[in-house]
Amino acid sequence: MKLLSRSVFNKYILYFFILNLGWLQAQQCNLIITGAVLDASSQDPLGYANILIQEKSLGTASSEDGTFKLQDLCPGVYHLVISHIGCEGITIPIELKADTSFTIELNHGEHEFHTIEIEGNKQRINTVNIQSISRQFIENNPDRNLGSLLQAIGGVYQIQNGSGISKPIVHGLYGNRLSILNNEIIQSGQQWGNDHSPEIDPFAADKIKVIKGVNTLEYGGGISGAIVLVEPSAITEDDHVHAQVGYTFESNGLGHTVNARVEQNAPVFAWRLSGTFKQYGDRKAPDYLLNNTGSQEYSFALQLEKDWSSRFRLESYFSTFNTTLGVLRGSHIGNLTDLEQALVRDVPFFTEDAFSYRIDAPRQEVSHHLAKVKAIINLPKQQNINWFVAGQLNNRKEFDVRRSQRSDIPALSLQQLQLSSNLNYTKRFQKYWQLKLGVQTILTDNTNNPETGILPLIPDYRQLKNGLYIQSILTLKNHQLSAGARYDTEYHYAPTISEDVPRQIITYERNFHNGTTILNYTNRRFKNQLIGISTGFAMRNPAINELYSFGLHQGVSGLEEGNVNLKTEKSIKSSAEYSWTPSSIFEFSGLIFYQYFKDYIYLNPADEFRLTIRGAFPVFTYEQSNANLLGFDLSSKLILFKSLSTEVKYSFLRGNDLSQNIPLVYMPPNSLNATLALTSKKTRKVFERVLMDKAQIALKHHYVFKQNNLLENQDFAPVPEAYYLMSMNLSAQFIFPKVKLTAFVRGENLLNSNYRDYLNRLRYFSDDQGLSIVAGANLKF
Amino acid sequence: MKKSLFLLTAVLLLITSCSKDDPEVPNEEEIITTLNYVLTPTSGGIPVSMTFQDLDGDGGNAPIITGGELAANTTYNGTLTLLNETATPVEDITEEIEEEGVEHQFFFSSSLATLSVNYNDFDMNNNPVGLTTAVQTGAPGTGDLTITLRHEPNKNAAGVISGDITNAGGETDIEVTFPISVQ
Repeated sequence: MKLLSRSVFNKYILYFFILNLGWLQAQQCNLIITGAVLDASSQDPLGYANILIQEKSLGTASSEDGTFKLQDLCPGVYHLVISHIGCEGITIPIELKADTSFTIELNHGEHEFHTIEIEGNKQRINTVNIQSISRQFIENNPDRNLGSLLQAIGGVYQIQNGSGISKPIVHGLYGNRLSILNNEIIQSGQQWGNDHSPEIDPFAADKIKVIKGVNTLEYGGGISGAIVLVEPSAITEDDHVHAQVGYTFESNGLGHTVNARVEQNAPVFAWRLSGTFKQYGDRKAPDYLLNNTGSQEYSFALQLEKDWSSRFRLESYFSTFNTTLGVLRGSHIGNLTDLEQALVRDVPFFTEDAFSYRIDAPRQEVSHHLAKVKAIINLPKQQNINWFVAGQLNNRKEFDVRRSQRSDIPALSLQQLQLSSNLNYTKRFQKYWQLKLGVQTILTDNTNNPETGILPLIPDYRQLKNGLYIQSILTLKNHQLSAGARYDTEYHYAPTISEDVPRQIITYERNFHNGTTILNYTNRRFKNQLIGISTGFAMRNPAINELYSFGLHQGVSGLEEGNVNLKTEKSIKSSAEYSWTPSSIFEFSGLIFYQYFKDYIYLNPADEFRLTIRGAFPVFTYEQSNANLLGFDLSSKLILFKSLSTEVKYSFLRGNDLSQNIPLVYMPPNSLNATLALTSKKTRKVFERVLMDKAQIALKHHYVFKQNNLLENQDFAPVPEAYYLMSMNLSAQFIFPKVKLTAFVRGENLLNSNYRDYLNRLRYFSDDQGLSIVAGANLKF
Repeated sequence: MKKSLFLLTAVLLLITSCSKDDPEVPNEEEIITTLNYVLTPTSGGIPVSMTFQDLDGDGGNAPIITGGELAANTTYNGTLTLLNETATPVEDITEEIEEEGVEHQFFFSSSLATLSVNYNDFDMNNNPVGLTTAVQTGAPGTGDLTITLRHEPNKNAAGVISGDITNAGGETDIEVTFPISVQ
């Protein structure tokens, strides 16, 4: 699926029709560019699109019928910037020798309309099964991490351990149930921990997608129906060096973020290098400083691409991600008594007034390295083979406050190596049927470093997974039927350390077999409506932590005990979606889903307190029961006066433990988002040779309801009240002859409200972050 | 690039052996398995010894707790000893606490209203630590005595130096409760 979509030509489907005027009078500045702008999915002409010649600060807008004309141009090399409201802009390099005419198809509003492209036959099908975050959004929020960015998508929430540490939840699924793929590779690390952030720098990506349905099968991560995909785009088609440099400052935490990206389609190979550096100090709640919540991050990614011929292409990707994350000092507790004391305090223990960039214990030091090589072979008769191998190395050290200078010795120190191989084959029959199959092997080796002096929570293990999938997409006019199946085996070998003294090694060896099937049907019979239904069955065998973990887990403030008797979890998920776009100014979309789990694995607070020398601790054991998840997401958008857009989104979710007839814990509360944005539809000349484009002011309202679907005895502390946050964003792009400058100012939690979020573990100890002003600029050459 | 591709494949094929070396059992030097509280009557006589012992650490088997019988209206000198009995030879953690007295403080509380515990030892800043104490019993009765060790308490907070744990903060390293009877 990736292969052809990596070509810019395919992405923007650009047809050049050089009018045959030859070389005559080449030096005269009277050349003309004409063309038309179309919506890629509907093929409707797009009016009011902006077309700019960057070098000349000269621009025009397309008329109602999508056509435009630029005249009096000298021959030369130019970059054409084409943009439209709700679209990601594109830049096209052009060597102008003669009058030129072309058609541009804009991928109109991919993140609003959730467009998916079926590559090759250049056919696009809209579905809510893929929702994505655009490069532009990533660039305008360089301070945010993956979990935080993904919240822009309906049905996505995040589970947090303070400001810098978060992981996404999609339709109530997270951790072992939600795979995150970085560059098609399943992110390998300690995903089981709710306080473990995915080790990914979003700035290296061009698109972050949430995928549901049949398309998840090829990745092998869509165990229960959804995956998060983080992917870079193809490197520019342009043979000039392009660079962008950005700097962002955030007032809360006095944070600095520097990003840079350089790329070139050099004759030898295409390359792109990107890097991010971040430093934050203590963040601040409205009434006090959150001591020891600073963070540091540096990461680099190198992407190389080479087309050896029209048949063979090589791609490779290397990245390194390194971070140190401070955890609120006052959240480090000894036992249940300490927790009870912390709960009743207004201000957390250890709160000081002195701001600092220092990161002491408790903290996490994590590094992640990835290397991937991919070969793509195009065969005759619309066949394609791609094969990629990847290696990942994940190091995680967690430091607690310990006696006798041991705070510098990690309390948890894990190293994980993962090697994987993926082989995919695609065959297209005519225009309407695509068949895809593949095999996947993943080998994981997890080792605890005994330097900790503490028995490991997760044992050492080695794990081998093999998978096989087949998927078929049949497209007949306005109907699309996709079906797929996947079979996986898992073998693991886990030598664990006994709970009893003298310590012994108890080795477990297990084999599992899992099957997954998914069926989707989409109908676009009426031009502006889409109806889709999807149903799937999935099996997920118990994960290593669910089987074998043992010890004190700070993340749950309790003793966590694995259960070796766990069986494979099975689930059936059905969803229905509907979207309606009656005109270019209004759209509505909705999705409803129901997921039933048999033998749902969850961490159960046993009615037991285990006495230790540190006092009593609640015991959490992994148990199974039948459960269900029911939810819906609604979103609606209305554009008034061509420049004022309003968008409202609502997400509802409810999880129930059916065996015990009680709610499921750690389910995202319902939320409501409303955005009001005023976008300047015209490009304005602000100075001589400086144009302002995409000027926008947006006001966002974010309301999170109280999680009422929870019993009082299911948590240590009362569930936080509902909260409302207001934020505002101002952004604009300035186009200079050689440079594009994007600048933005954003205010988060503008009312400086005190609030606590149900899925932020720090809510037991402190309020969430207060007011923050973020300002940034991004220069593109 | 082709070379590296082959190399990676070779590596992948080689490491498909799925057994793994046994893990090295970490040296649990920080763990406290045992707390002894020995109360010696100031007027002489047989000392009373109370013990909390949990050899396998957090979780696992339940700890063994031995309480004590005290005489009414008597003054005792209390001495706390902390041990790590998983180490050979047995490690005395008491010294560690003593050295880091500034960062530690023991707190004593009893369900018997007439039993009082006073500090007999002090850290560099002249704040109490609690490894040695003076215990005064009152009227006869049965109840319990809870000993808590806090790491990094705020000794300047109200009431902390006089032994009130309420505002101490820090995190609990030890919290054990002994059944006691005063006769």
